[in-house]
Amino acid sequence: MKKLFLVVMVMFVSLQAWGTGSQEPADTKEEMKKEVTLSILWFNDGNESEVFMNTIDDYLIANPHVKVDLQLVPFGDYEKRLKLLIAGGTPPDLARVTNNHVAMFADNLVVLDEKVKNLSAVTAGFNKGSLAFATNKAGKLVALPTEATANGMIVNVDAYAKAGIDIREYSKTWTWDQWYDAMKKVVAANDSLEYGLGFDFSPHRWSTLLYEAGGRFVNEEATAMAFDTPEAVDALKFFKKLHDDKLIPASVWMGSENPQELFQAGIVASHIGGSWVINKYDSDIKDFEWAAVNMPKRKIRSSVAGGKFVGVFAGAENEATAIELMLHFSDQKHNAMYCKETLNLSARTDANIIYPSRNEDFNAMAADLAITPAITAKDWKSPELNKIYSYIREQIIEGLLGNQTMEQTAKNIQDKGNTFF
Amino acid sequence: MANRKKGASSFHQTRAPLFFLAPNLLIFFIFIIIPAVSGLRMSFYEWSILGGHSFTGISNYQALIGDAMFWKTLGNTLRFVLFVVPLLTASALCIALLVSAEDSSNGLFRGFYYLPTMLSFVIVGITWRWILGDEIGVLNYIIKQTGGESVQWLTLPAMATTSLIFISVWAQTGFYMVMFVGGLQAIPESLFDAASIDGASKWQTFTKIKLPMIRPTMLVVVVLATINSFKAFELIFVLTKGGPGTATKFLVQSIYQVAFEEDRMGYASSMAVILMLVIGVLTMLQFKLNKEYSNE
Amino acid sequence: MNKIMQSTIKIILVLLFFFPILWIALSSLKLQSELFTFPLSLLPENPTLENYRSAFKTGNFLLYFKNTTIVAVVSTTITILINTMSGYALSKYIFKGRDTIFFIMIATLMIPLQVILVPIFILEKNLGMLNTLMGIIIPPAATPTGIFLARQYMMTIPNSLIEAARIDGGSEWFIFQRIILPLSKPIIATLAIFSFMWRWNDFLWPFIVIAKQKKYTLQLALANFVGQYDVDWSKLLSMTVISIIPLVIVFLMFQKYFIKGMTSGGVKF
Repeated sequence: MKKLFLVVMVMFVSLQAWGTGSQEPADTKEEMKKEVTLSILWFNDGNESEVFMNTIDDYLIANPHVKVDLQLVPFGDYEKRLKLLIAGGTPPDLARVTNNHVAMFADNLVVLDEKVKNLSAVTAGFNKGSLAFATNKAGKLVALPTEATANGMIVNVDAYAKAGIDIREYSKTWTWDQWYDAMKKVVAANDSLEYGLGFDFSPHRWSTLLYEAGGRFVNEEATAMAFDTPEAVDALKFFKKLHDDKLIPASVWMGSENPQELFQAGIVASHIGGSWVINKYDSDIKDFEWAAVNMPKRKIRSSVAGGKFVGVFAGAENEATAIELMLHFSDQKHNAMYCKETLNLSARTDANIIYPSRNEDFNAMAADLAITPAITAKDWKSPELNKIYSYIREQIIEGLLGNQTMEQTAKNIQDKGNTFF
Repeated sequence: MANRKKGASSFHQTRAPLFFLAPNLLIFFIFIIIPAVSGLRMSFYEWSILGGHSFTGISNYQALIGDAMFWKTLGNTLRFVLFVVPLLTASALCIALLVSAEDSSNGLFRGFYYLPTMLSFVIVGITWRWILGDEIGVLNYIIKQTGGESVQWLTLPAMATTSLIFISVWAQTGFYMVMFVGGLQAIPESLFDAASIDGASKWQTFTKIKLPMIRPTMLVVVVLATINSFKAFELIFVLTKGGPGTATKFLVQSIYQVAFEEDRMGYASSMAVILMLVIGVLTMLQFKLNKEYSNE
Repeated sequence: MNKIMQSTIKIILVLLFFFPILWIALSSLKLQSELFTFPLSLLPENPTLENYRSAFKTGNFLLYFKNTTIVAVVSTTITILINTMSGYALSKYIFKGRDTIFFIMIATLMIPLQVILVPIFILEKNLGMLNTLMGIIIPPAATPTGIFLARQYMMTIPNSLIEAARIDGGSEWFIFQRIILPLSKPIIATLAIFSFMWRWNDFLWPFIVIAKQKKYTLQLALANFVGQYDVDWSKLLSMTVISIIPLVIVFLMFQKYFIKGMTSGGVKF
């Protein structure tokens, strides 16, 4: 017993020695001289945090008094973590955020118009769509765009070739019907291939079909849902048809298999995923040729705009330094460096990136993005839409399972969404 | 440090036990009870994490009554608990009986059976997701290799529920097995000696000695398994996200979604209060049954 | 059941419990590009330790390991001490409110922590425990499960031993320390195994309390390999394998204390 106490005491003492590493709040004028440790919240797809650190390396060398505490949080817990920190009054200095987060935390982010001199010069190089995402309800800028994301179609070139389809040519002008035929053929022509398409398991990816069919989630004024429409039902039914005709494996939306892994294993002939998947496939696929191609057209051809941003939080401990670093990271040179290294589409029009490989694939996705209507961004900027994200997913699956009609699914989503407006 | 009571053989004391309980009670009070009371308070409010909050009385609880999703997830949860608890208790007890004897190999066997418990739920979830995948799952691959038809382990609603129950039992059996082993090992040897002199069969030894002697352990196992099954969340979420659709969506996942995604903290708290009441009543019942059974 | 039957069943069970873990271990020796190539193979084609190398390269792995060890060891020590104390109080004394206290303790287990994340976070902040290991050592050290186990076990300790000591004039603390604890070895071993594992695998408390990378635990680091649409299998698998090893060691260390016939020694001081 005595020994036990002794052990505990020793532990206590040694722990105290590690201490809390707390900081004195810095006075902004003095901040530039003092030691500053920036808390930066970050989530990862692939190697992004490493590249981020490399990108800001020159800033840290030039400013030896600045240290970085990079806090990696899994994407699934990211929102929760941010909400905790903000609710507790201890927001991070700088955070990587998605367009959904910008909408959600708009009131908690520093308004750049008030803090940055000659902001127009800073924003000149960005593409307008990305900037539109980064504004609050009053239209003021609260974050700086880093990369644009797109939903794109990636195909197994070899598999389509076996069916006698030169998919690069064929996909230049294809429609949903031609897409459907091509998938039928490619599945028939390949023994090892079981399905035509792996479709990422998220409402955001699914919404590609919605916009192409001419539908939308939220009305133009962002005051209510506008989902209970023939267009939305059309997109839902087409999605169900692809499942019913066994062109999409049930195991992705009904089970939890990863379409990316299915594509890699050569089980599905194509994959609708995010632009960053190019990076992934580039390093992981060794045994067949693949390419990113245009989305097939329904009423329109469209991707879904999205993006990642960096923002500084109001009330952050080291606001001035954080803004300085954000501007540094977002300028033309560093943004191009970051997007090139992470194989992402830049949110800057002047980035002029030549990727080490896969340039054509990026161009294919960028081309989709270029003709994507603004409503996609409007929709996904909506905090209300974000609140029913899981609900939408559940409802679509209830429809796919045949537990309810797709008309009912559209109505349910409409009604649930409207409770938040 | 402790109070001395010379010669008193009475166990009717207050100061000593309170002293012994103090550290635990203090921690519970500060870290769980205070936050829980604020949670309870929230259930009478409309409460947003980032926004404000306003008092709404019992309207959250009234809204629960008409909330189909709440009843569905509560039903899913109850069904899950009803299957998992007996299966888990039975499998843990059977395995403990197999490996409770102290011989050279049993320690190792216990180690093997305990292994799954050592994995965090997230890892258990993604590993099984990978094993049970329809297309690139290991299990279906083996089935196909041996000429069988592949099974939609996690894709058909009924099958997904079954798989979840199996995996939950698989992941926790080792934990409760350790408790049972402890209980079985604590049975005095003399009882068995007496039984073998009387020529009792194995089965009689089991029903007449082992079962009554491990009843305290049994109570722990059943109560804990019940509470933990009600709270099951991570494993299920990683495996099926509550799907297909809402086939395996349980109450805690619902609470989570309402609290953090829909930002309705107050409503989520009222759901949590109901969940606690259900668990509380069931736990009381289990204690009562146990008392009656052992005629204390 | 005869011996052969028993052994057969035991070995079949080993396959059932061990196969998925073996799959994890073997897959951790495969490169990510080999993981999803068909046909599947149990054994890696070109076994490589590359995943382990990259896991260690992920920076700070050893630091997280150290943090987790400190948390698990200290918290387990505290847990054993205060839970056996509580178990003793609840099993061997009769006093007003005993059952209420016991039930409140069990009730704390019923609260889904997820719902009270925000109040807990604010509380930890006010106590100055954010970003300290203490903040994840102290709160979960009081485990209702541990108290419950200790109480149930101690109920089986004969009262006569305690009474004898009281007549000899032993203080209550002396009795607890010299009689109860030595007789409670099996339950202490069980608590040690469980508590160490809980703290080692804990995600929620570290998630609430720890933001600074210097204080990360293994589970916080591991969780980052599960992305939005994607799992970084290579790092996840290798780190998982490494993180199980201490748990196995602790289990094997403590499980030999499930000593038979605890009362067969009689009364010793």
